[in-house]
Amino acid sequence: MTTPEAIEGYLRTGIVCDHLAVSGDGAHFEAVIVSSAFAGKSRVARHQIVYGALGDRMREEIHALSMKTHTPEEWAAIQAGS
Amino acid sequence: MSIQDTIREQVTAHPVVLYMKGSPQFPMCGFSANAAQILKACGVDKPFTVDVLQNPEIRQGIKEFANWPTIPQLYIKGEFVGGSDIMREMYESGELKQMLDTAKG
Repeated sequence: MTTPEAIEGYLRTGIVCDHLAVSGDGAHFEAVIVSSAFAGKSRVARHQIVYGALGDRMREEIHALSMKTHTPEEWAAIQAGS
Repeated sequence: MSIQDTIREQVTAHPVVLYMKGSPQFPMCGFSANAAQILKACGVDKPFTVDVLQNPEIRQGIKEFANWPTIPQLYIKGEFVGGSDIMREMYESGELKQMLDTAKG
């Protein structure tokens, strides 16, 4: 069974993350991903970067992944606001 | 006609198209249910929906069409808008309703 830790590993291999948190139950996962790779990118393009890092695993292992994607600047603003 | 052509025809023939699992009345997946509910909340009562569970070719083809591995997928005026996470974010910010209002009008 896929674990949140395994998904974290896959993501770290493909994306340089400032902050990464993955939780889930083996079928449904949630990820918060903060990376400067998202700067200047649309929401769709950001998610495509994440799906690209997961590759075929998205088809085979991971039934559902819900994600929030932020740049370091956006993340700092969110942290400051909460 | 190839499956990619069929999809292109569907998304351009209708202003709002949702590819989902099941129907808005009987969604077969929580993410698809959310997507249909968000459209309803934005005032789109009868979106053109395609049940990918009834059509395996479209289920596979739509993933290639938008380079997007998951379902649901929302298209407005032929353009891929996003999946359920993006729909939720854009709904909460008001962007989605604005886009849908423009597309309908």
